Amino acid sequence: MELFTVQNEIHNGSCAKASKQKQMSESDEQLLARILKGDEEAFAALYRRRQGPIYRFALHMTRNRTIAEDVTQEVFLALLENGRSFNASCGTLLSFLYGIARNHVLKRIQKQWRDEPVDEAEQYASNNDVFHDFTRGEIIEQVRRAVVSLPPVYREAVVLCDLENASYEEAALALECPVGTVRSRLSRGRMILAHKLAKYKVYGSKCV
Amino acid sequence: MRMNEDPVRDILRALAEEDAGIEASPQIEVRLRKNFSSWKRRRIIRRTSPWVLTAASIVLVFTFVNRKETEPPAAQSTPVEQTAVSLPEPIAPAQPLPKTTRSRNSTAAGMPESFEIVTEFFPLMDPAPPFERGQLLRVELPASAMQMVGLPVREEYLARSVHADVLVGEEGLPRAIRFVKIEKE
Repeated sequence: MELFTVQNEIHNGSCAKASKQKQMSESDEQLLARILKGDEEAFAALYRRRQGPIYRFALHMTRNRTIAEDVTQEVFLALLENGRSFNASCGTLLSFLYGIARNHVLKRIQKQWRDEPVDEAEQYASNNDVFHDFTRGEIIEQVRRAVVSLPPVYREAVVLCDLENASYEEAALALECPVGTVRSRLSRGRMILAHKLAKYKVYGSKCV
Repeated sequence: MRMNEDPVRDILRALAEEDAGIEASPQIEVRLRKNFSSWKRRRIIRRTSPWVLTAASIVLVFTFVNRKETEPPAAQSTPVEQTAVSLPEPIAPAQPLPKTTRSRNSTAAGMPESFEIVTEFFPLMDPAPPFERGQLLRVELPASAMQMVGLPVREEYLARSVHADVLVGEEGLPRAIRFVKIEKE
């Protein structure tokens, strides 16, 4: 009897492992197809795979954990409701998710601006009286603040391409603009960042 | 004048590496899983209801017209066939093998008897309002309707039609559905 129970447990364990491996090997699009048929495990697998980039995108855009978590939740709920409108020939599912996240983030940013007309992040970022001997952690913190103080159009390009390693094509899909626009926004965003960081003496900006 | 972007990119790369492991809290997954279950139920109701409502209304209209034309005036006073059925407890739609029951249909002498194999009732409303009396309507639906309540259907059978009993409440809304397989002996 005991042997049977142990064998059963081993069998169940190996089945669960096999199912997990199957989910790992499935593409985002395959998981989405299963989700739309009502498969909760596929939904959980896709969420675990993609919540990180979406959460970090929202976090870098807003610098607010609560908003970032709300946005992450809203993105995956929106995927359930609008997943059928995803067209794999137009781009990856990740860029589709970034696009949803971006819309939610922009709404939150606009609301924040209405509620708090003074840009707190900008104020915080320009407070440069004590920035001399930075540790790595402090530098990182200054960069975070500088990123969030960028105007949203440049911020989203920098966050997607430089922080989340999205390709220009993926970013263009998410930001609903041509690839050339992404490149120019990215370049402009980096330039503004360089000026900000030079001002804080995080590093010396070089001109060529 | 063009600025060298490399130092900015380096410092952004450092930030990306620093934040690479940041993830949303586990509560979000728990909340989303709850939302998934309710989305699934809403989806089943949304998809099944038009079919069921259409079929139910056709049957109701047909029954009404048929009765008016054929039945004598005395018969009109007889109560409309109503079946008091207790609404079953909702069962998980993903259950692969729902319990089935067999019922024997009385047929004319000499004719082969037919058996009906029925599934359990699947609720169509969530949450279901109080139910006292209702009507059981036999309708034909595409087999894809079975998939919508979580029953497994092979791809090649999706377009075929299946029999189903729809439990319609007194207010005319479909409350539950069960699928019927008719077999002849």
